[in-house]
This record gives sequence, structure tokens and C-alpha cells, in this order.
Amino acid sequence: MKFGIGQAVPRLEDNRFLTGGGRYTDDLTFEGEAWGYVVRSPFAHAEIRTLDVAAAKAAPGVLDVLTAEDLKHLGPMPCEAMVPGRDGKPPAAPPRPVLAAGRARYMGEPLAFIVAESYEAALDAADLVEMDLDTLPAVTDTEGALEAAAPELWPEAPGNLSLDWEIGDAKATEAAFAKAAHRVKLRLENNRVVANSMETRAAIATYDEAAGFTLYAGTQGVWGVRGALAKAIFDIPSDRLRVVTPDVGGGFGMKGFVYPEYALVMEAAKRLGRPVRWTADRSESFTSDTQGRDIVSQVELALDEDHKITGYRVESVANFGAYLSQFGPYIPTLAASMVIGGVYDIPAVYVHVRSVITNTPPIDAYRGAGRPEAAHMIECILDQAARQLGLSPIDLRRKNFIRQDQMPFTTALGAQFDSGDFEAVMERAMENADWEGFAARRAASEAAGRLRGIGMGYYIESTIGAPTEEVRLEITAQGRARFYVGTQSQGQGHLTTFAQILAERLGIEPQAVDLIEGDTQEKDGGGGTSGSRTLQMIGNAALAVCDGLIGQGRDLAARLWEVSAGDVSFDDGLFRVASRNLTMGMIELAARLGELPGGGDEALESVATYEKSGATFPNGCHIAEVEVDRETGAVRLEAYTVVDDFGTVINPMIVEGQVHGGVVQGVGQALIERCVFDADDGSLLTGSFMDYGIPRADDIPAFSFELKSTPCTTNPLGMKGCGEAGTVGALPSLANALNDALSSAGLGNVQMPATPERVWTILRAG
Amino acid sequence: MRHSIKFLLGDEPRELSSFDPTMTVLDYLRIEERRTGTKEGCAEGDCGACTIVVGSLEGEKIRYQAVNSCLQFLPTLDGRQLISVEDLPDSSGALHPVQTAMIRENASQCGFCTPGFVMSLFALYREGAAAGDPPELETINDVLAGNLCRCTGYGPIIEAARSMHQPAAGPDHFEQNSAATVAALRAIQDSQTIHLTGPDGRQSFAPTTTDALAEILAEHPGATLVAGATDVGLWVTKAQRRLDPVIFLDRLGEMKQVNETATTIEIGAAVTYTDVERMMADHYPDFGEIIRRLGSPPVRNVGTIGGNIANGSPIGDSMPPLIAAGATLVLRRGGERRQLPLEDFFIDYNKQDLKSGEFVETITLPKPAPGSRLFCYKISKRFDQDISAILGAFNLTIRDGKVASVRIAYGGMAATPRRASGAEAALQGKAWTRKTVDRAVVALASDFRPLDDLRASAAYRMQVAGNLLVKAYLEAQGAGVETRIIPYREAAHA
Ligand SMILES: Cc1cc2nc3c(=O)[nH]c(=O)nc-3n(C[C@H](O)[C@H](O)[C@H](O)COP(=O)(O)OP(=O)(O)OC[C@H]3O[C@@H](n4cnc5c(N)ncnc54)[C@H](O)[C@@H]3O)c2cc1C
Ligand code: FES
Ligand code: FES
Repeated sequence: MKFGIGQAVPRLEDNRFLTGGGRYTDDLTFEGEAWGYVVRSPFAHAEIRTLDVAAAKAAPGVLDVLTAEDLKHLGPMPCEAMVPGRDGKPPAAPPRPVLAAGRARYMGEPLAFIVAESYEAALDAADLVEMDLDTLPAVTDTEGALEAAAPELWPEAPGNLSLDWEIGDAKATEAAFAKAAHRVKLRLENNRVVANSMETRAAIATYDEAAGFTLYAGTQGVWGVRGALAKAIFDIPSDRLRVVTPDVGGGFGMKGFVYPEYALVMEAAKRLGRPVRWTADRSESFTSDTQGRDIVSQVELALDEDHKITGYRVESVANFGAYLSQFGPYIPTLAASMVIGGVYDIPAVYVHVRSVITNTPPIDAYRGAGRPEAAHMIECILDQAARQLGLSPIDLRRKNFIRQDQMPFTTALGAQFDSGDFEAVMERAMENADWEGFAARRAASEAAGRLRGIGMGYYIESTIGAPTEEVRLEITAQGRARFYVGTQSQGQGHLTTFAQILAERLGIEPQAVDLIEGDTQEKDGGGGTSGSRTLQMIGNAALAVCDGLIGQGRDLAARLWEVSAGDVSFDDGLFRVASRNLTMGMIELAARLGELPGGGDEALESVATYEKSGATFPNGCHIAEVEVDRETGAVRLEAYTVVDDFGTVINPMIVEGQVHGGVVQGVGQALIERCVFDADDGSLLTGSFMDYGIPRADDIPAFSFELKSTPCTTNPLGMKGCGEAGTVGALPSLANALNDALSSAGLGNVQMPATPERVWTILRAG
Repeated sequence: MRHSIKFLLGDEPRELSSFDPTMTVLDYLRIEERRTGTKEGCAEGDCGACTIVVGSLEGEKIRYQAVNSCLQFLPTLDGRQLISVEDLPDSSGALHPVQTAMIRENASQCGFCTPGFVMSLFALYREGAAAGDPPELETINDVLAGNLCRCTGYGPIIEAARSMHQPAAGPDHFEQNSAATVAALRAIQDSQTIHLTGPDGRQSFAPTTTDALAEILAEHPGATLVAGATDVGLWVTKAQRRLDPVIFLDRLGEMKQVNETATTIEIGAAVTYTDVERMMADHYPDFGEIIRRLGSPPVRNVGTIGGNIANGSPIGDSMPPLIAAGATLVLRRGGERRQLPLEDFFIDYNKQDLKSGEFVETITLPKPAPGSRLFCYKISKRFDQDISAILGAFNLTIRDGKVASVRIAYGGMAATPRRASGAEAALQGKAWTRKTVDRAVVALASDFRPLDDLRASAAYRMQVAGNLLVKAYLEAQGAGVETRIIPYREAAHA
């Protein structure tokens, strides 16, 4: 089997995962460890009158109980994305203490931390915490938060408005609408979802006077979490905190942030001088993990007589939750607006986002982060326009696509698309989905009493995240290629993909590669994994580091062979001196460094930094086909087709897996996932797997997947990224398919999630 | 009396004598054995990350069943083989065909759910090994109903399940070693009562005869009986109850039997859903389907009808069909037995007619009378692995256009599973017409004051209760209209 770039190599990490060898945070144990339990607010909004932990402290086995009183020396949880508003001022960001003081602002907010000899002892002691909480009216609804009648939660955020943000040319857009031959308008809810990685969050801390703190936690990048904890919360030099991330059981954005529990285990470990561990149970993760989406938008399209789009306007209300999470404000604003107009040539665009504070868990990035919201908006309004104007959604897209000959193309909001052949990708997807044959399939469904709909979502996303990444590669005398990176796998198969690149470039076995990630002690920094940035950054850095290593290797080989470096070439994985018939592989060279005349401390080791020149724009066309039961409102996903343009692909099998999983997360959001808060007290009603809909094996049909890529022109490898794409494309294709099915019966649109109850209500009302 | 439990952990014998009797198998594996391959994703039977396989001796063979280790108590392993993901590769380290297939199909991403899926598929592999055929998609979906994965989107896992029986693979090492494993298991079977005392003094018993159970319970009337622990497990893991003493029912051969006569079916109270499903589907296809939808395979592999009844939840799924079918219970205390119709067992919410020291010994139901049909409908948010909002069961005999006999029972319509006597009266002896049925629907309003909760409002339940009766009527007409999203699957899985 070939292992190089472009091969569907089975994953190197799989043997470990398949045999139970995965090591996640909760799998680690430490000598003398103590167990932590977080006492949380049972109410969405309450005045904390008393929080008496004396009895809990005295309970058997209890070692310590922390409350806000004990954490006065800690800074608040930081928000690092203080995107300024229209007025140039940062968002109103009320301080978020590690443990609530005075007032609890969402159900699940940490109030106290009990540390005991065993988990059971900590849990028992939790019953002894005396709490007198005075419940207050809670605000959970996104748009409702702005209503005059809504209780005001923070004086700093009048009317619960934290950030009033805009981008684009309001005047030009206004003018486009004034002149438009057609105007189309749509209200879209992008529902709040819970990430629900199968591994819940967990953290273990140790403390040692000499070395400082060590935190073990399932993060998406150790340096970002260390920075937030060391600088903002503990105010210690960052070398006093080592953060280690072992295997991560799924993150999807949610594990990228700093959480109060990290600070709690650290502080407790310091106070006790013992390792302290904490693992969330599932109900805790439902309320204490950051949640995703929760944005309501009014979107409007202006078109001329010829159905060319001339203007696009978005008015959104986004829910921040009770506090601004680490990157919360970035998501509905800058992250979404990069690709707000999709793949269309729209001359005038204006986006206005009002972000509100509510009594709900904080919102932050969730797979796609802003871009699924954007794709959902533009693709749904496009189909709405087609319906309203009696056009084919395909023709409307064709007419408005940014054409390949327009590349590179700068959008109205300034995004620079480097490449892409949107029409060709769409054509291919339509072929694969047998778009032509849909009418016959619809007729068959209707004959059986069911509605059928087909929907397209042409998405484009801009990969985001830190713009530089440094890697280090050393070949040891023992024949291992140790590759040090600053990104963090949460299941994406990074080891395999990186190893494929190194293997191809260096002529080594992929099995010889060790991936060193997730430890602040091993490297100086790194941007972590988020925003589909990893392979783009590491892949290109890997090219550079290989080049460096090859150059170094030629010098060393020349010294060994006692020829001049200019005589040594490197091709097909071997150093050669053609004239003398000498060859040597990279591994052999590393093993023979000791033989160097006068040598000793030479090493085959190279460092390289990749700095990206701009965002990349993965894009693709998703087509969903659904059937709706007219009697029950039940929706079945019948077929799903994806054609993606990811630029260069290292391992198509891994890529397909990423897309497949991403799509299913989107299907979940579009059809069944929903956070329902009690209208009276704001508590989360859908707080368990029994009550929150996660897609299951039988919800998903077999998919059709194909790559039709145009290499990216802004990085040497030509890659665009793929981690989030599946989710970005899934929301609009599902939403459009559902609306297509309903409109075939003359019915109006359904919001996500299209639960049977919602669809049924529309069917009845129709 | 024996004061220890004996089991095989993979191939290694284990004997344990002092431990917390309600320690879960998951904690045992992760904390005591430091086998961390088995994961906790929810600790309530919903996600399957903790799935293990338990091998039990059945005659000359070992039966392998997937179980949720997060709800299973350690003493229930006695006499069995505990297999976790670490046991799947053979002694040379070669992967099991299930594992190879998962790798080939890219069925693992973050790996956290993976051991659970591997174990569910391993149980399917073992059970289907003889056949060697790729399992049907429906069977795979059934088997995976209790496993959640957030990364892969399932497609690759399903492909792995389809391709795991590659003919070239040959017998796996469990098959190769089966004689030795059978012998090792045989050596640890006995009929002694197990009596354990935990480090904190809490006690547990595991008798092997009903007489012994009666005796122990008479002595410890406050004891908690544990059958499959799919309810009791949650009291311990979620509600943190410290049960003392505990009596395990899973070793009771007598109470795990199903006896059929020409006209009756007698089900021991400790019979699992899995063991009764096939037989029930033969006699009462709709009831068989209800059982197939109850929880997930790991829940059904240990959960019992006796436990469902004794737990007495108003939304327990087996009671309405049983009541409608005319089931009776035998309750036993010491040497005394009494018999009562199942519907009389439920007094009020959480209150059953179970005296101190008494237990459910058997459940007897008649085989369907000629010309009768039992219709059962479960209404829940999801098809699989979900708790009912409402469940309706209608046992009807129509003769000469008239309702010759009728028994109707609902779950979710009152504080207990209950008969609809008003509706029954409105039907009994009347012409079997839509008009009569509509009258019976009206009568439901005086039969019930439905629950009003998160799962469904009272008004919804009342509406649906009537609709289900109408649905039974329509289906009885055999009008050929489609009334089910998924029709009963006769041979979905054996
Ligand atoms: C994930 C999951 C899904 C589920 N889905 C469903 C579902 O779809 N439908 C449904 O109805 N239920 C469901 N349940 C609940 C549960 O599985 C059933 O109620 C099951 O029948 C309980 O049986 P058990 O043997 O596990 O009982 P246990 O938990 O062992 O016992 C339950 C109760 O019965 C008592 N008991 C047991 N046997 C006897 C006896 N012989 N005499 C007297 N008392 C006895 C016990 O002391 C206890 O009070 C689900 C549970 C889980 C965890
Ligand atoms: S841990 Fe989720 S089913 Fe056991
Ligand atoms: S592989 Fe991550 S949850 Fe299944």
C-alpha cells in the first residue's frame, strides 16, 4: 500500500482506540488524588442569600470546600474576543467569576467546589450545603431578551443588549433595496444545540511548590487554555503552569475554551497539596459546557429584473448566554460575516447583529462557528426567492455564482476567495443526486401519501484560527521521526495525516512518526485545533520543516561520505551521490551521525513556521432529499449527496469521515436537536440523552460523497481544510429540502429543528 | 453459603469477597482492574460507551450478550465471563474481526464511543458467527440502538458491521477456546446462595432457588430485590442510594423459566426481555414489537418483565399489553402464594400491592383466544430507546360484527397502568362500528385523568388515547391503509 499524500491510509491511531488503549483525561490516575464535585445552581436566575458550607466541610472524607469567598485572589473568566460594536466600544461583558458570587445567572453555574477522599464522599457532602436561593425572573429567549418587558439582567447591558455590531455598507445596501425589482424576506431561527462530545469534560490538577501547576484536561489546544488560566485568572507567569491534553473524546469547538472547573481543580490542588480530579457527569455537561448557535435572523434579498442579486441584508439577534465565553462575541459577528453572502456575486451587503445576555449557558464556537449560520441564511433566502419568483433554485444559483474566471474575487465584505469552480461542483452534485429524477421520486412519494422535498446547500466557509504555526521535527538515532506540533487532535486522525506528508517527503515509514502534541512543556506555543485550520497550517509547515531537514541531511551526508554537499541530492526518499552510486535514507543517516568525523552533537532536527497569507475557502454542494409523512409530520432523510472542493487532500478516507460526521451533526440540528428552557424558571428541560435528540444509527441513510477540488492558490500544499464543512453544508440543504417538501403542498416554511410536532402543526394549519 | 463471587475476566479467573455489593461493573473495570478501555458517557444506560459483553453458560455453549456496565452490579457476574474491549485481540495481539472491520471502514474518530460499539458488534458477531452471513441493516440498527457516536455519523460503523464476517477470518479466539472456557465456567457454577458483606458492612445475597429467596426475604423484609438493575442501577448511580441488603435474582434458575401449556404462558419474574421477545412475538406480534422497542439490546438483555411490573411505573411498557391480555401474578411470601389479576397489583403512584417480604414469582397470561387480536401502540419521541409518553393495548374479539370481548389498558394515562373500564363497557357486546368506537373514545374521558408532564400534556395524552383506539379499529378492518411508520418486523432478529 502506498502511504503518501492522497492515499486512503487506515489510521495509525486506530489500533489503540479499537483495543481500549485510548487514554482520556478521566483514564489517568495520580497517587494521593482527591475527588472534586461542583455544586451548581439549580436555578437559571437567583439571588444567593446563603451558601453555608460548614456542614459539608465537616462531613466524613471531605478535605476542602471552596466558595467565591475563597477565590477572591482569582481573576474572572476571560473573554478574549472583545469585538467592538458600532460605537467602537467593546461589548458589555459583566465579570464572570469562577464561582458565582451574589447571584447565579444560569442553571448549572458553579457555586461551590467540594473536594473529598472519594467521589461518593464529595457527593454526599453536597447534600449538606445549605443554600438559600431567591429565584428571580429568568430570560432565556433570544429575541425575548430585547423586549421591553424582559427583566434587565445587568445594569452594564441596558435592555440586555451587550453588543450592537454592524459590517458592510448600509447606505449602498439600502439603495440596492430601493431600486430592486424584487425583494424577498425570511425569518430564520438557528437553534441552540449542545455539543455533547461523548467524552464529558474532565480535569485533573497537581501542584508542586517548585514546578507550579500541572493541569490535565481535554482541550483543543494547550497553550490557549494555559494563557487564559495563567494570565487572566491566576496571574502567574505562564511557566508556572503546564497544561497537558491526553486523548480527547470529541470537542467540536466546545473543548477549546477555559472553564471554571479548570481553575477549581488547580486552586484545590494548591490548597491541599494533592492531585485533585473532576469529571463531569452527563447532566452536568448539558448545562456547564458552552452551547452552540442560538441566533435569530431576518434576512432580505434584493434582485433586479434579471434576477441578479443586487443587495443582501441581515438583521440578527444572537444569544451570548449568561456571560461572554472566551470567544463568544466573535462567532455571530466576524466569523459569520466572512462568508455571509455565500458563493454569490453580491455587490452590496449589510449585516447588523445585536447580541444579548440571558440566563442560559454561555454560547461559544460549535462545529462551524458562525459559518453554518451564514450558509443557512444565504442558501435559505435564495431558495425562498426562487419559490417566491417561480424560478428554479438551480438557475438562480447559476445566474449569481461568482464564476471561476472572476477568481481571485473580493466579496463586498472584503473576503478574498482565491479559487473555486462553484458551478462545476454543483453540476456534479446534481448528477450524483439524480436531481433530474426527483420529479418521479416525488410522484412516487405522493402516491404513498407523503411529501418529498429536495434541497441544496452550497456552502463556503472560511477557515479561521491563529495565523501562524511552528513545528519541529527530529529524527532520532533510534529511527523515530518526532514531530512536535501546536495543534490538538480530538479524533480527526492528525497523526495519520501528518505522517503521510512526512513519509512522502522524507521517504520514511508513516509508522515511524511520533506525534507530540498537547503538552506545553514540549513546545513553546501553538494555535490549537479549531476553525478547520489544522492541516492547512501543519501541512504547510511540514513541507517547510521537511525541506529544512533535507537540506541539513545533505550537509551531514556529505560529511559522512566526504563529498561536497553540492554533490548530494535527495530524491525518492534517498540521499544520493549519483557519480559514486552512494545512497542513504533519512533514518539511516540519523543512526550514523555518531560516525561523523569530529562530530558528536549533530542532530537531524529542524524547525519551521508557516504563516498563512489569508483564509482558505473550502466549499461544496450538499443535496438532501427528505420525505414527510402527511399524517404524522415525521421526517425521514432519504438521500444525501456531497461534492466538496477541499483543494489538495492528504487522506480522502479521513476527509470523508470528517464530512460524514459533520453532516450528521447538522442533520441532528436540523431535525431533532433542541434546547428547551422552561418558560417560567428557565431550567433546561432537555438535559439528558433521553430528552435531547442525538442522531442515532437508524436516522441516517447511506451518503454519496465525492471530491471535486480546485487547489487553493494561497498555500504551497493547496489545501483548504475540511473539519467543519459537513456541518456548514448540512443546515441549509436540510432546511431547503424540508421547505421544498412543504411548499409542494402549498405550505409555509418550518424552522429548525423540524420535529414531527412542528411539521405536523404546519400540515394541520395548511 | 458462599462468601465470594467467582467469574472469568477474559480468560482469567477472579474471586472477590469483600467489596461494595452495588459497585458497578464499570467502576470495577476502570477503578479496581484499571482497565480503562470501557468508558462512561452517561451512567444511565443511554449512550452505550460502557458496553461490555457477558458470557453465560448455556448447556455446552456460551451465550454472549451486550450489557451496560454502568448499570450492572458486580455480583451479577458470578459464574460468568466478563469480556471487555481489552479481551478482543487474541493472545498474539491480533485484532478481532470486528476491530479489523472498524479500522478498515474508518469507524472510529475520537475513539471514545469505539469500545462500546466494538462490544455491541462483538455480541452480534458471536451470535451470528455460525451463520456467517452479513447482518441485515435492520438488525444492525437494532443492535446499535443503545450506542451513540458524535463523530462518525454512524455510516462507517454500519459498514463495519456489514463486513465483519469475512469468510477468510475463520473462527475467532473465543470460538477456538470455547471448550476451555466452557470448562472454566462449569467449574465455577454451584447452587449455593452467595452471601457477601461489603467493607462498610452492607450485605448482599444471591440465592439460586425460589425457596431460598423466600427465606432470605422473610428474614430481611426490607431488602431490595435486584433483577436486571435497569431501574435499581439508577437509584445507585444517579440518586446515590445506599441499598442494604440487596438480593440478586439473576441466579434463580426457576424464576428464569418460561413454561407454556396449551392455553397459557407462564413467565418467571426474572426472565429477561430478550428471552421472552421471540416467543411473545409468535403469540402476540404487537407485544413482541413493544418489547423490541423497549430500551436497547443491553437493557433488554438484563431487564425483566418482573422488574418492570414490580417497579410499577405508570409508563412501564410491559404492563398495558399484559393487562389487556389478561395476565395474573403469583406473589409469594415465605411459603405462601397468592394470585391476583395484574391490574389489581397497582394501587397508586409508586404503590403496589406487595406486602413486606413478598415478591413476584411468576406472571401468567393466556394464549390468544381464537378470533382475538391484541393491538399495542407505543407513543414516544423516538422509535427506539425512549420512554413512552403513552402506551395503549387493546385486546379484542369480534364475532358476528359484535364486540364479543374487550380488554383495554393504557400506560401514561394515570398514576398507574390501568384498564379503561368505561371504554370497555361502551364496546362490550356492541356492534363493531366506528360509531361504537367513537362512543368508547368519549368514555375514555371519564376513565382517566392523564399525567401532565414533560413527556406530554394531559390534553395530548387524552387525544392520543382516543386516536389509538380508533387506530385499532381501523387496523382491525384490515382496510389496507398504512397505519404504522415501520411495520412489525417478523424476522428482524432472532
Ligand atoms: C436506558 C433505559 C431504557 C429504558 N427503556 C424502557 C422502556 O422503553 N420501557 C420501559 O418500560 N422501561 C424502560 N426502562 C426501565 C427498565 O428497563 C424496566 O423497567 C425494566 O423492566 C426493569 O427491570 P429490571 O429487571 O431491570 O428491574 P430492576 O431494576 O432490577 O428492579 C426494578 C424494581 O423491581 C423490583 N423487583 C424486581 N424483581 C422483582 C420481583 N421478582 N419481585 C418483586 N420486586 C421485584 C426491584 O426491587 C425494583 O424495585 C429503561 C431503562 C433504561 C436504563
Ligand atoms: S455510560 Fe452511557 S450507557 Fe453506560
Ligand atoms: S468516534 Fe467520537 S464519539 Fe464516536
